[in-house]
Amino acid sequence: MDFYTQNGNTRPIRLSEATRVFAHDSLERKYGLNTLETMSVSLDEVEEFDELSALKKHDLAIMKIAQTAPIRICDGEKLSGAATLGLAISHVVPVTYHGAPFCPSISHLTVDFETVLKKGVNAIKVSAGEAYEKYKNTEKEAFCQSCLTCIEAFEIWRGRYLQALKDLPEYWANYRNLERVPFEPATSFYEAVQSLWFTFAFLRLCGNWPGIGRIDYLLGDYLKKDLENGVLTLDEAREILAHFFIKGCEWINGQYIGSGDAQHYQNILLAGIDEDRNEVTNEVTYLVLDILEELGISDFPTTVRINQTTDEKFLRRVAEVMRQGGGILAVYNEDLVISALIKDGYSEREARKFANDGCWEVQIPGRTFFMYSPFDSLQILQQKTLCCYQGSAAFENFEALYHQYTTDLYSCIEGIFLDRQRLFANSGVPTKDWEWAKQPPCTLVSLFEQGCIEKGLSYLEGGPIYNINSPHIGGLADTVNSLYAIKKLVYDEKKLTLCELFSILQNNWEGEEALRQYVLNRYVYYGNDHDEVDEIAARLLSDFADICTSFNGKCGYRFPAGVSTFGRQLEWSSNRLASPHGRKVGEVLAANCSPTPNTDKEGATAIIRSYCKADLSKLATGAALDIKLLPSSVEGEDGLEALVSLMKGFVSLGGFFMQPDVVDASVLKKAQEHPENYQTLSVRVSGWNARFVTLNKQWQDMVIEQNEH
Amino acid sequence: MCTQGAHILAEKHTVDRAACSLCFACAKICPTGALERCGREMSVEDVLTLVKKDQAFYGEMGGITLSGGEPLIQREAVLALLKACKAHGISTAVESCGYVDADVLRCAVPFVDLFMWDIKDTNPARHKQYTGVFPDTIIKNLLLINEMGAKIRLRCILVQGINTDAEHYRSVALLAGNLHNLEGVELIPYHAYGGTKAQFLGGVDNGNKAWIPEKHRLEQAKQILKDYGIRVL
Repeated sequence: MDFYTQNGNTRPIRLSEATRVFAHDSLERKYGLNTLETMSVSLDEVEEFDELSALKKHDLAIMKIAQTAPIRICDGEKLSGAATLGLAISHVVPVTYHGAPFCPSISHLTVDFETVLKKGVNAIKVSAGEAYEKYKNTEKEAFCQSCLTCIEAFEIWRGRYLQALKDLPEYWANYRNLERVPFEPATSFYEAVQSLWFTFAFLRLCGNWPGIGRIDYLLGDYLKKDLENGVLTLDEAREILAHFFIKGCEWINGQYIGSGDAQHYQNILLAGIDEDRNEVTNEVTYLVLDILEELGISDFPTTVRINQTTDEKFLRRVAEVMRQGGGILAVYNEDLVISALIKDGYSEREARKFANDGCWEVQIPGRTFFMYSPFDSLQILQQKTLCCYQGSAAFENFEALYHQYTTDLYSCIEGIFLDRQRLFANSGVPTKDWEWAKQPPCTLVSLFEQGCIEKGLSYLEGGPIYNINSPHIGGLADTVNSLYAIKKLVYDEKKLTLCELFSILQNNWEGEEALRQYVLNRYVYYGNDHDEVDEIAARLLSDFADICTSFNGKCGYRFPAGVSTFGRQLEWSSNRLASPHGRKVGEVLAANCSPTPNTDKEGATAIIRSYCKADLSKLATGAALDIKLLPSSVEGEDGLEALVSLMKGFVSLGGFFMQPDVVDASVLKKAQEHPENYQTLSVRVSGWNARFVTLNKQWQDMVIEQNEH
Repeated sequence: MCTQGAHILAEKHTVDRAACSLCFACAKICPTGALERCGREMSVEDVLTLVKKDQAFYGEMGGITLSGGEPLIQREAVLALLKACKAHGISTAVESCGYVDADVLRCAVPFVDLFMWDIKDTNPARHKQYTGVFPDTIIKNLLLINEMGAKIRLRCILVQGINTDAEHYRSVALLAGNLHNLEGVELIPYHAYGGTKAQFLGGVDNGNKAWIPEKHRLEQAKQILKDYGIRVL
């Protein structure tokens, strides 16, 4: 069978037929549909349920899931464990009481799989036991008890799988592996992969969506040893690893969800340096690339960490896989990312470990609580700065306007800060002795986040070593372009007053088509390597970052800046006025750190040059650039070299994160009309991928527009 | 706005090309960009600045390709630009139809890393019929730069029913075989896209789909070259 590719060539075949069939079935929704057959388990039989504490309800829920969730063993699977309750696909702990779920779940984190692999869950159990003793008879006792209960539930779930596999000779290897892992340390590559998968699966079963993190860093040494000792061949290892990726498709069910059916934040990182500055890239790295290339599974958003010294051969391999399309690989400039993390206060060794959460927001895995707060910077300009101006004194010049804007921006961020504080602080006033407020239970992820057990505090209550709340600026290009258009029209060319312009915007450019066309076509906007406008972008990002940093130290968490829209430009479009740079009400505008659609006229390298003029090391949680490439531009040897050059240039110019996709807008339009022929066509959405046909029409149109040149 | 009366604003806005003095005042103020000036004057410095912008991406691998029209017609400027590029470590390529003064070529060769040379037809009468000149000068110039050690890529257009005969490609193969530093031969099937450009310039779409070569002609040409040991790009 074929796996869809943008590329003219077919995908290579390295895996066994059985594995390919398994992949095909999973992508064709076999297991996703099966998952929807049992949505949840219930606690209806529990007496006096309402009297119980939130933590107690939670513990009962996890235990019930472990005891009664359906066990699924897929034909010929090399790894066992499956998240079989349908509600988990909707980001909820799949337990109900009288039909209603009552427990929220966690995502946007990468948990500490390293400890599970190296020390086993039993080591965590020991720590939890010690914590329980330490915090007995204090208010932390309940959390510690919850830790122990959740581990017990995990053991029960494992026991049920052993029971199911026991008498099936074809799954003997799975059985043998699960006898040890994940409770004991892994002693082979096969065990390590199973340990990783099983832990991940249990978290998912219970509704949480963690990321995987640096998979080659986690598994590389095990594989190396097995290859050296002749325990395993590379082909065998590839089969096992492929099953990991295939099992990760167990939730594909074809349901139409606005933002796509593969948004579960199962992020993976490849390559890059470790804390000792050694390059991680190993056999596992190359195997993952092989698997992605062959099967086209884009459900694990995978990002490659590259730097100034990354091997050319490796970059070529990455480019080869990238141009298969599907938005399958993104890129971090790890030199820049690490410097950003150091600037934000991490030690160098810590910074080098970075991974990400669901999309690209950077964090140190296994020890970070992460949350972000998006806002629309264009709305501030339009509905605060320009609007309030109406009554008060004129902005004499551009500087005065810009100054007012940054003041309004400050108010917005202060609002976010106070809002987060209300949510996370026990007392409303920031003091040196910050006390975290009580939050809904999240014990399962807390087990795998360093700091929680030791402190007796959950993931949401200050447990992890690092805690982050990051304001994310959205609509950046539109705000920059708006400011620029105003500067030119009103202050430089003096074609009209600001008051007149604002009236025109309020009337959606009605009767002013010539002026609108002028503004649309005659000014060169952000994304074309034009200093005059790019300077505004660089300045705004810098000022934004400084505003965020000014709040550090006033609360129990870091407050780093980031840039994103994550597709929100769609929902924001109805709340925005017509823009000074010529766009009408309702138009869907810029994504992430990318240019406003249809304003980039100088090609991908110019977009990157504009983007890199800002000091991106001040944006510690990330600034993502979307790059859309036509299949023809990455064809052949020239195309490969072009992609490699693009990545190299991105690093040398100081970019942060780039998510390229290779897709033809005309193909997407065909897919809109005949979805039945394009079932597995994947596109990059905004930090995650999706099968195009599962996006609703609005999202589809947005992706098409982004891809049209 | 227009001092020459070249704009006719009837039901459709059209331009009288004969009356137009190419002052471009209208293009400057056209709000939608429908009237667009193609091409502008640039100094050598301007070009170098533009080229250097993408150096972070192409590094030592990429460079500048001069194309046209016929770039070598702009003799002084082209030589100055080529010299400046080489001085800045930027690699250079020149596309040429070959019908130029030998002098320009003698001066240019030391500063050109790759010549992309058109060989449209080796049949003299046919060449004259379709281009207006005999191929002699073009071949002579080719051999001249070859003697000077230039690296050459031959670009051969295939026009169905005109030069798609085996004899022509054998001649190309023989010619190519005589070159000391041949990168290879590029076979380029005719396409009709130029017609739209003609339209933009106020003419008619004069693309001729009948000239698009059949696939087997392309394969035949490739095979002939390969048989003669010539690298086909």
